[in-house]
Amino acid sequence: MTGRNSPPQAGPIRPYEFPPVLDDSLDNGMKLRIVHNLPGRLVTAMVVLRAGETGVPRGQGGLAVLTGDALEGGTARLSSRELAARLEDIGASFGATTGWDYTTVSVSCLVEHLGRAMPLLAGMVRSPAFAPSEFRRYRAQRLATATHRRMDPGSLAADSFVRFVFGEEGTYGRPLGGTEASLGALGPACARDFAMSRYGPGQAALVVAGDVESREALELADQAFGDWDREVETPPEAVDGDGERGRSVHVVHRGGSVQSEIRVGHVGVSRFIDDFFPLTTLNLVLGGSFGSRLNLNLRERHGFTYGVRSSFATRRGAGPFAVSTSVESAVTGAAVREIFSEIVTLVEQGPAEEEIAAATSYLAGVFPLRMETTGQIASRVAATVVFDLPADYYHGYRDRVRAVTRDKAAEAAQRHIRPDELCAVVVGEAGEVAPALEALGIGPVTVHSDEGGPG
Amino acid sequence: MIDVEEYTLDNGLRVVMAADNRAPVTAVNLWYGVGSRNEEAGRTGFAHLFEHMMFQGSAHVPKNGHFKHIESVGGSANATTWFDRTNYFETVPPHHLDLALWLESDRMGWMLPAMTSEKLENQRQVVMNERRERYDNQPYGDWDERLQSLLFPETHPYHHTVIGSLEDIAAATLGDVSDFFATYYVPNNAVLSICGDFDPVHALGRVDRYFGEIARGDVPPPLPGDDRVAFETGETLRSDAPGPVPLPRVYVAARVPPFTTDLYYPAEAAASCLGTGRSSRLYDRVVRRRAAKSASCHVLPLTSGATIFLTVATGYPDSDVDELEAAVARELDQAADITEDEVSRAVIGEETRMLRALQQVETRADLLSMYATHFGSANRLNEDLRRMRRVTPEEVRAWAGRYLHPENRAVVRYMPAAAS
Repeated sequence: MTGRNSPPQAGPIRPYEFPPVLDDSLDNGMKLRIVHNLPGRLVTAMVVLRAGETGVPRGQGGLAVLTGDALEGGTARLSSRELAARLEDIGASFGATTGWDYTTVSVSCLVEHLGRAMPLLAGMVRSPAFAPSEFRRYRAQRLATATHRRMDPGSLAADSFVRFVFGEEGTYGRPLGGTEASLGALGPACARDFAMSRYGPGQAALVVAGDVESREALELADQAFGDWDREVETPPEAVDGDGERGRSVHVVHRGGSVQSEIRVGHVGVSRFIDDFFPLTTLNLVLGGSFGSRLNLNLRERHGFTYGVRSSFATRRGAGPFAVSTSVESAVTGAAVREIFSEIVTLVEQGPAEEEIAAATSYLAGVFPLRMETTGQIASRVAATVVFDLPADYYHGYRDRVRAVTRDKAAEAAQRHIRPDELCAVVVGEAGEVAPALEALGIGPVTVHSDEGGPG
Repeated sequence: MIDVEEYTLDNGLRVVMAADNRAPVTAVNLWYGVGSRNEEAGRTGFAHLFEHMMFQGSAHVPKNGHFKHIESVGGSANATTWFDRTNYFETVPPHHLDLALWLESDRMGWMLPAMTSEKLENQRQVVMNERRERYDNQPYGDWDERLQSLLFPETHPYHHTVIGSLEDIAAATLGDVSDFFATYYVPNNAVLSICGDFDPVHALGRVDRYFGEIARGDVPPPLPGDDRVAFETGETLRSDAPGPVPLPRVYVAARVPPFTTDLYYPAEAAASCLGTGRSSRLYDRVVRRRAAKSASCHVLPLTSGATIFLTVATGYPDSDVDELEAAVARELDQAADITEDEVSRAVIGEETRMLRALQQVETRADLLSMYATHFGSANRLNEDLRRMRRVTPEEVRAWAGRYLHPENRAVVRYMPAAAS
């Protein structure tokens, strides 16, 4: 007999340790975090710059993102085209990514080509050309993306939600990539000023992860960045705005919509909270997994949606807490009602023991499964730099997950989720959905006119 | 180079194993040889709806028990439906391999006892919302419907999309679910791949125990319609879509020899030379010159008669769509002069990207299943890696000249409605 009636027993556990991270620095203060001798012939080298959108002056939204884009636009020695050819002739992929707290510039290639790739990476970071014609092209691309976001329902909902929740004055109240108005005012001199005042060894780290010897990585790092000499400012932190602080509903009309894009939430937490792990675990129960309460309710019980999720953004400042989904227009009111009800119930009653046990088991189990590639490992190590965490942070990661109890998760829910401050943003056919939202009686409903929909 | 072992159970289930204990991660991947190409007229979207029903439980697993079991041990699971196949996959900590095998075997063998009309109704709504979210409520959402119906004649299995129509999804019945299951979800129409950290002897024993007792089915019927099609459309076929889009965009496609032929290698190299990286022709000559905001190029690994060579370019708000199309068309028309340097760059780039993708056991398992399904040999993946390195500029030029011309082209164009 196969013993089919019940699931099989687990086999013996294989040990897992996050690979050792060599923690060092150059004489100029640039941090080095090197994960060496990984299998697989590949290597990722990533420069982490504490130069995200948070540090951009008001009115210049998108500057950090655009400056990051423009790093690919050539260096003091190489044109944009030459730079691309040098890297792509050795099969390397490269690019910059900018978030609220960082800009990372990375190269990934076969390990035998690292010696050629590293100086090119350094050139992009240390001496970007910001040639006006190239800069204008990157700006035109970001402007077009901003145009696109006003007509894409998911982006429109996300951008509207943060505007209502954080307020126009709040750092996080604007779109990461800027608006058409803010981008339009940026020139190559702005990017140069930003790079010169924010990109410097004292606020930067080099992460190398791959099939490389540590001594070789250290030598290459020193050759590429050892004589980088630039004093830069400590990046500013995010500031609060005057967003919604009571319950509210905002309908953003998008004519011709067959679905409503819904966001429900409020100002969330900073990465530096003490109960980060209990809250992360709690979020898995609420809407952070397939088997979460929200997904089982809205998708698997009611069939309202293809999927729903909740998240607490991980940033240095308090980012958004948001539930996100899209539902057929006709069930918009019912879907918002169910979202509110699940949030309130979880805060009032807390999660069940089994839910927290399953969630911690998930988090602990899935951790090594997401450490397969040099890029994944480099990104994890980069996060330790961004959030002031020790280089060996991940070695105790799973223990911290397993220490989460049901009571700690319940306390985290009470501390960080505020049912009285929930703001609902709905992008859809206002005429159809606003009456249903009014009828819910959860808070004042404001209808905003068409923001770029088909009309 | 991946060390691959291949077996076939008595019931016809093909088993592919590639053990590699460098990281404590194990992937299980099942390909069923059924996709949207098998759908009859009036039943479009059914293969995908059926995929959803596979998560609604089986004789020994409750509704949503599949996800619950896998997530609670720290694994991930999902499935996708495409033209030629439907794949199901789990990535788990190695000591939970048996669980993944048990779950997959239960639904392969014992799905039907768990089916109810309530579950079908629920997933019908979920899938309709998937269609609304990803297609109907999205700018450019209907591009593939337009393109496929243009590029393939009505009788061809690629004429309709994987998501299908709302009307057809609405018409699906519980009887359709059992018929489909009996016809296509049989062990002799499936490949099971296991990759990563596991003991092959143990794993093969468990595969035999859990899957061995599932009865072989009939050979699935031939595809509906006729998949024979010329690599020539005769003229440039067009579909213009003025309407609520933010930026002009063009999709330019050609009908080219399928994945299962040797002509797929130069096709991949050509796609890479044209559209991958900042040195590619589309980036260098179109994006750098600001004729497009972005442009990319791919060839899809499809097998029925022909496949799709697809170029997509998005313009700026004020771009003229005719000029956008002309900029892309120029590069396709001139691709027959691709140089040796461009081909070498494409080859090293593709090799590096492939190595990068193969770092993840989930991808490795999926590719092995793909090769086992389409070529009858998973080991063919290794041959392909070697073969790609030997692609010559002459091959690429000849291929481009033969297939990328205006008499073998379909164009879908989106243009923003005039500002009001």
